[in-house]
Order: sequence, then structure tokens, then C-alpha cells
Amino acid sequence: MTATCPSGHVSATSDYCEQCGAKVAGSGVEAAPAPGQPTGPLPAPPAAAQPCPDCGAAHVADDRFCEGCGYNFVAGSSAQAAVPSPATTREDWEAHVAADREYFERVSPRGIDFPADYRQRAVALDGRELRIGRGGYSADGPPEIDLVEAGEDPAVSRLHAVLVAQDDGSYAVVDQGSTNGTSINEDPTWIAANVPVPLADGDVVHLGMWTTITVRRTTAGATGM
Amino acid sequence: MSTFTAQTYQNEYLPLDGSEVNAVVTVTASGADASAASSSAAAEIVIVDTSGSMSSPRAKLRAAQQATAAAIDCIRDDVAFGVVGGRERAYPIYPENGALVSASSATRAEAKHALAGLKARGGTAIGAWLALADQLFVTAPNAIRHAILLTDGQNEHETRDELRRVLSTCEGRFQCDCRGVGTDWEVDELRQIASVLLGTVDIIAEPSDMEDDFRSMIERAMGKRTGDVSLRLWTPEGADVMFVKQVSPTIEDLTGRAARVDAQTADYPTGAWGNESRDYHICVHVEPHAIGDEMLAGRFTLVVDDEPTSQALIRAIWTDDEQLSTRINREVAHYTGQAELADAIHDGLEARTAGDDPTATVKLGRAVQIATESGNEATMQLLKRVVDVEDAHAGTVRLKRAVDDADEMALDTRSTKTERIRRSAP
Repeated sequence: MTATCPSGHVSATSDYCEQCGAKVAGSGVEAAPAPGQPTGPLPAPPAAAQPCPDCGAAHVADDRFCEGCGYNFVAGSSAQAAVPSPATTREDWEAHVAADREYFERVSPRGIDFPADYRQRAVALDGRELRIGRGGYSADGPPEIDLVEAGEDPAVSRLHAVLVAQDDGSYAVVDQGSTNGTSINEDPTWIAANVPVPLADGDVVHLGMWTTITVRRTTAGATGM
Repeated sequence: MSTFTAQTYQNEYLPLDGSEVNAVVTVTASGADASAASSSAAAEIVIVDTSGSMSSPRAKLRAAQQATAAAIDCIRDDVAFGVVGGRERAYPIYPENGALVSASSATRAEAKHALAGLKARGGTAIGAWLALADQLFVTAPNAIRHAILLTDGQNEHETRDELRRVLSTCEGRFQCDCRGVGTDWEVDELRQIASVLLGTVDIIAEPSDMEDDFRSMIERAMGKRTGDVSLRLWTPEGADVMFVKQVSPTIEDLTGRAARVDAQTADYPTGAWGNESRDYHICVHVEPHAIGDEMLAGRFTLVVDDEPTSQALIRAIWTDDEQLSTRINREVAHYTGQAELADAIHDGLEARTAGDDPTATVKLGRAVQIATESGNEATMQLLKRVVDVEDAHAGTVRLKRAVDDADEMALDTRSTKTERIRRSAP
């Protein structure tokens, strides 16, 4: 059972809108509950909505992404479409870490300054899992892409995301439950935590206030095979 | 398994342009059957400091041995347990093979026998001790895991970074109550450990008090029946969670511990629960709405072993009736005061240590005032050992010239213990 709130959001919760919090008409919620009102019942569990158009997996109504393939139900975009078809030769990939002023101006609050001299750099992606974060004290040492080194971004989590190699040699980004989220390209919505989102050549991963990581396929892919 | 309920206490009315929503949510777990021991496996490790300083005075090591023995006696049958010794490295005291054993009268006797032979020598590296405990706990994967850490000194034989690294590894894997004996340990250091590992911190000023304290810690740990409980907080689009704090029985700021579920939802860890009740203060900023509008500012769900159970709603209703919007909810006011009390004590003691007597006098005076107003008798008693109170209601105090170190540390460690709000019967 779903409900529609006064702003037109479709909500899996029938008392208040699961998106904007507006009271859903006819929800029977008391307007002014007495203080200490006892536990309310849980909202009806979200009924299975339309299955995922990409992989056919069942779609839990309030999930933003398909559990099966990462399809973005909100944006209606396929995660897989962005993945290049499996390459015949092994490819080399690089991650370019930079500070993006345009992104910064879009998301950052007043009172924060864009870093004046940001040390841009490229990191070779060599099949290992690469952690992106901010100089933490993890048992495994600092993250491979350590954003402390380059003009520290205060909104990046200690362990923010990881880049993991896919079967075809390309990479996917997996947000590690970061505090301020990870988004890709122009889509402002955060990717779901702990769900790998494959990246195509030229895709831009945004995190924190200004940090952007662009993955690029390099042509030097011949490995003598 | 316990049954959980959640209740909201708040004034949901906001004035025009009001955006800050405060609520206290009381969570109560009940129905955990103390006799149903088998329903929830438990693992217990006692970590005893056996560094050189534990032998001066000699009574310290002896008290630690006795207290650990008393704790072992309280471990119920079939609980996996072990005792770890700490120097500049950690070593297993019992069992010696680097695993945990199942408690029985035979293994408890063996453990106590092993304790009797302890020698105090060497240094202090608490991170290494915790790391060994973590390794041992791996052998009890499905148990509710609890440790007691006893130390008498500062963490001198490893860097702060090393300790932090171990802590971030252990986070979420076991809970640890920390105790400092004597006055040579550092309150902030143990508090940091206890805070990350969702445990308590306290001072044992007199070695002779150790036994009772250990016994009660183990009894509390044995009473935990539900292993993994998180608070899940949903907030509407455009809202900011200002803070999520446990405010009773002690103040623990959980804001930074959020594990994001999706863009609008985060989980906050609370560890294991027995039959008990805790209060949480939640503050959310929402986008102001028109007069007469109502919205949900937060949906607070208890997630028990990954299953959402009961929930409480935090609402916002905009009104032009000032009588409604200016009222401050009793529970919110009370716990805002208790948080200010803890801060005033912390700041006051810090100023006192730095030699800034005027600031210390003002801060500790304010603490006396709040403790009096809120009926926090326990904190008031501790304050009185550090200041002479002239007028409790006005907050006029004089700093005592000579203060026992142990009294100051007791005030510091226990400053986050709050007075529960008294609720009139419905």
C-alpha cells in the first residue's frame, strides 16, 4: 500500500510522507498527540512495487536503488548501461583526484573557502581495492587515496568510499556509509551505501565539499598477451 | 530477547519560521528472561593491568586479583571467558592457549588459580591489550561480547595513534567497561576507549572497592539479552540532524557515530541491552512551514538484530499561538540542563587545572546551581569535594584550596552521569 502526500510524493509510509514528512491526508494521525504518546504501530511494510526494469529483481518500494543491479529507481537510469562492454584486452585505468570549483559552489555552505592550491594527482588503478578517505587510523594504514595530503576536504569521511575492480577491468565505486555522501556526475542524489556503482570512462565521482575523482581508461592497455 | 518500546516527549509546536525540533525519546527494554541463559550466548574477558606500577602499593595488584576472581565467580555457566594480562604487550593469563573457555566450576577454579601467580612488571600499552581481547573474541562469533579493562596508569608504551587504530578495529565488535584504579591514569584516555566501545568509565579510588565494582559490572553484562540494537533516525528531505545524544543513564553523544542507511536515514549504535530504560535527546532542523502545517521531523525506529521493531514519531506543527510554541517540554529542558551540567564540570575542571580560577569558579558554580535545581544529588556530593558552596541556588562557590586528586577524577569521570527525570504517574 502506498500513499500520496500533499506535495505529490508517493510514499510507502501512510502516516507521513517518507520523503518530505508532510502529513498524508486521511492518515488518521492525531493532530496534537499528548506528550509521551506511546509507541505507534510500524507503518505497513512497503509492498513490492514494480520489479526492476533492468534485472527484474523485486523492488522494495522505498529503496532508491535496485538490490540486484543498482538500477536507480529515482533517476530511472540503468547502472549497467554505463559499463563498457567487457574488453577483450586488459585495460588500464587511472583515477584523477582534483578539486572542482563548480561542484564546490553548488554544494558547499558559506564560510568555507575553496582550497587555493590543490595538489591534483593521478592514481593508477591496478586491480587492487583502493580506499578513499581522510588520513584515518584504520588498522590497515592510511587510505590509498588519502585526501589529507592534498588540501584537506572537511566533508570527506575517514573511510568514505572504495574503488573496486570489476571483472572486465573497469572500476566501481562503493560508498562506505559516509556521513556526507557520494554522488556521480550531474546526479545530485547520493548513491546507496555499500552498493557498488560501476564507473565508465570519464565518470566523475563527487564527495565532500570539492573533491572529485574522475576515472579514465588509458590507452596503454597492451599487456603483451 | 527483550521487548522494546519507545515514547516521545516533546513540544511539537513551533512559531512562524521556527526550524529547531527537540524531542526526548525514552526506550525501554523489558521481558528479557534472566533464566533463559541459552537463548543468548555471551563472551566475557577481563583485562588486568599487570604493569610494574600495579605493585605500588602492593595492595593494588592483590585487589585486582581478588576483584577479577570475584568477577569470574559471577560469570554464568557456558559463557565463553578468558583473562588477559597487560604490560607493554598483552598475554593470556587464562586460558594460556589463546582461546576462550566455557565457564564451569572447574574452569572458574583454574582461572582463579592462574590469577594467583600474577607478577607486576613492565609497561602499559592498552591498545595491545584490546587487540588481544579482540582476537580472543573472534572465537565466540555469535556471542554478546563484553570486556572489563582495569588499568592504573597512562598509556605510555604505544602512541595515541596506535591506540586509536586498535579502537577503530574493535569498534562494534565488543563492548568494554573501563576502570582506573588510583590516580595516575588519564580520565580522557579511558573515556575515549569506553565511549568508542560503548562502555562505562569510572574511578576505583580505593583498591578495596574493586571487588564490588567488578561483581556489579559482570552482573550487568550477564543481564544483557539483546546483542545489537541501533537507533534508526529518518528525517525529511532538507532536514539536518543537529545531534543525537543518549542522555540517561549517562550522556553519550552519538551524532558522530551515525552509519548512513540512505540519504535520509542513519543508524546510531547502542550496543547490548538487558531489562533497562534509556533516554535520547534528538535535535533536528527542518525547513520552516506555514502556520497550521504539520510535518514529521523524525521517525525514530529501534533496529534489533537488523529487524526494525517499535518506533516513535517526532513531529512539528507551526502555530501562531505563542502560548503553545514558547512552552518548553519538561523532559527536553531537564536533559538540556544535565548536558550543560556535564559541560560546566568539564570546563570548570579544565580551567582549574590550567590555573584559571575565575573561570573555574564560574563554571563549577553554574554546575552546583544546575545540580541543585535538577536534584542531581550524586553529582552535588562530588562537587562539594572540589568547591565550598556558599549559595547553591545562586551558584556561588569558592574553590577548595586542597583537593584530593581522586575526588577531582571522580567528579570528572562521573560528570556525564545524569539524574533521570522524575515522571509523575499518569
